[in-house]
Amino acid sequence: MKKISIYKPSIVDEAIQILSQHGASASVYAGGTDLLIRLKNRLHQAPSYLVDIKKIDHLRYIKEDAQGGIEIGAATKLAELADSRLLQEKYPMLVEAINKISSPELRNASTLGGDLLQEVWCQYLRGGYSCWRNGGYLCYGAIGDNSYYHSAMGGRLCYAVYPGDAATALIPFDARAKLATPQGVKELSIEQLVPGDLLVDGRIQSHVVRFNEILTSVLIPPPKPGVRASFEKLRPRGVWDFAMASLAISLQLRDKTIDDARVVFGGIAGRPWRETSVETFLKGKTLSTELGEQAISVALANAAPLKYNATKIDMAKGLLASGLARLNA
Amino acid sequence: MQNIGGILLEPVGCLAEFPAGPFHEIAARLLSRKGELSNSGSRSYWQLLELVDEFAPQPTVEALEIEAVNAAGVYEDIVPALAELKAMGVHLSIASSLSGAAITRFLEKHSLGEFFAGVWNRDNAGGVKEVPLVGALRDASLPPENVIFLTDAVEGIKVARNAGVHPVLMMNDPDEARRLAMHKPAGGVVSLHEMPDFIRLITAQNERVNRVDG
Repeated sequence: MKKISIYKPSIVDEAIQILSQHGASASVYAGGTDLLIRLKNRLHQAPSYLVDIKKIDHLRYIKEDAQGGIEIGAATKLAELADSRLLQEKYPMLVEAINKISSPELRNASTLGGDLLQEVWCQYLRGGYSCWRNGGYLCYGAIGDNSYYHSAMGGRLCYAVYPGDAATALIPFDARAKLATPQGVKELSIEQLVPGDLLVDGRIQSHVVRFNEILTSVLIPPPKPGVRASFEKLRPRGVWDFAMASLAISLQLRDKTIDDARVVFGGIAGRPWRETSVETFLKGKTLSTELGEQAISVALANAAPLKYNATKIDMAKGLLASGLARLNA
Repeated sequence: MQNIGGILLEPVGCLAEFPAGPFHEIAARLLSRKGELSNSGSRSYWQLLELVDEFAPQPTVEALEIEAVNAAGVYEDIVPALAELKAMGVHLSIASSLSGAAITRFLEKHSLGEFFAGVWNRDNAGGVKEVPLVGALRDASLPPENVIFLTDAVEGIKVARNAGVHPVLMMNDPDEARRLAMHKPAGGVVSLHEMPDFIRLITAQNERVNRVDG
């Protein structure tokens, strides 16, 4: 492992100064369950300076705001989110999703911010291949074994899937993220936070956070009336594994009539894949046993699977039918 | 990799899918070579170039090349990709071992001539393989380290290296591309539409390095 230096700032502004000073050679360090693995993998892109934010006050909390929404500090452990009665009461689907992330041990260490901003888990990147995210100019996933960690919805140079479950589950709630930047606080939707493969500060990453910005909190608006939501995840093992496909679906219902819908797939693309064609289809429909089959017919029409991962699309469609059935039960 | 100022393109395998039959037939007529027909037009083309160092003008050979051009299917995303690359100021040149007549026919048939600042073929370059690349480079007045040659063949990788430019794979077939990746090309794209981002990323990376060093 390369030599690293660790800073332990006590306030966010100090952390930003340190990040600005070291540029892309520095990285925020919270739970470390992604970052430290990248260092151990000896990835070319791994940082040399770690800015440990665990000592900074006011980054680890779950609190209700005056409007009945929730604000979550980015350094809050996933286990704390899973155990939160407040979240279970207001957003049980989010808690369902959090409980399906990795394993209990990892949830004790991993943070919400880390889950949102984690690096992809493509086996070629993590195996040290010189790919687009590791000092090279080629995607080995596009031409190699892409059955698990690669996009079935196309890509942009890099074809690795975005692995985070928290973002997939937060998008249906219209959640937002707050960033601390040298220019002040920036707020954006979770979709804007993780739009997929981007060139940011001279490298490819799945999120928009720049080298000297820090994700500080996630805001979830008050629950809408009549909302029922579901999260399901398909993976090789029942624990630890990333999603081969997942679905976070939220329906705002008036009796059985769908007034509004949010349909977000995970594990199939370089970002949480919000399927607006299905959302539009579902609006105004009546929740029924037949609706799943009908919804499948309009889902993922622009799928562009690679050689070995067309199954992801079948899985995703299956989850859509299953999710609607769950919500109809 | 240095910032990319120019791309040299061999139409066979990079701009269009060519049939194997005509190239196979050329090999049979020039060299009495018989064998199984490859299912890859690109492979047949490059294998032919490995066997024939020079093509004396022969009507039958040119007619077969024209036949290949007429049957070639242009990849659907190349026009917007070429337009974007041209708008970015990237110098685009054809650098091909096909005949002048075949290249002219190809560019006219698909209305691609407007995108290329240079068109080099075996006739105006005076040779095959790296010879058209060298001609295109000289014409573009670009240092080789700032130029890419797109290829989908191992022979193309060698030709690029002989000319001093960066070989970048056009990864049309994933299994073939996996084999070609072992020859350590400078990079690879699954489609021409990725080239603008390829170039932007290299530029951004170099800017970041320069900022750190500065």
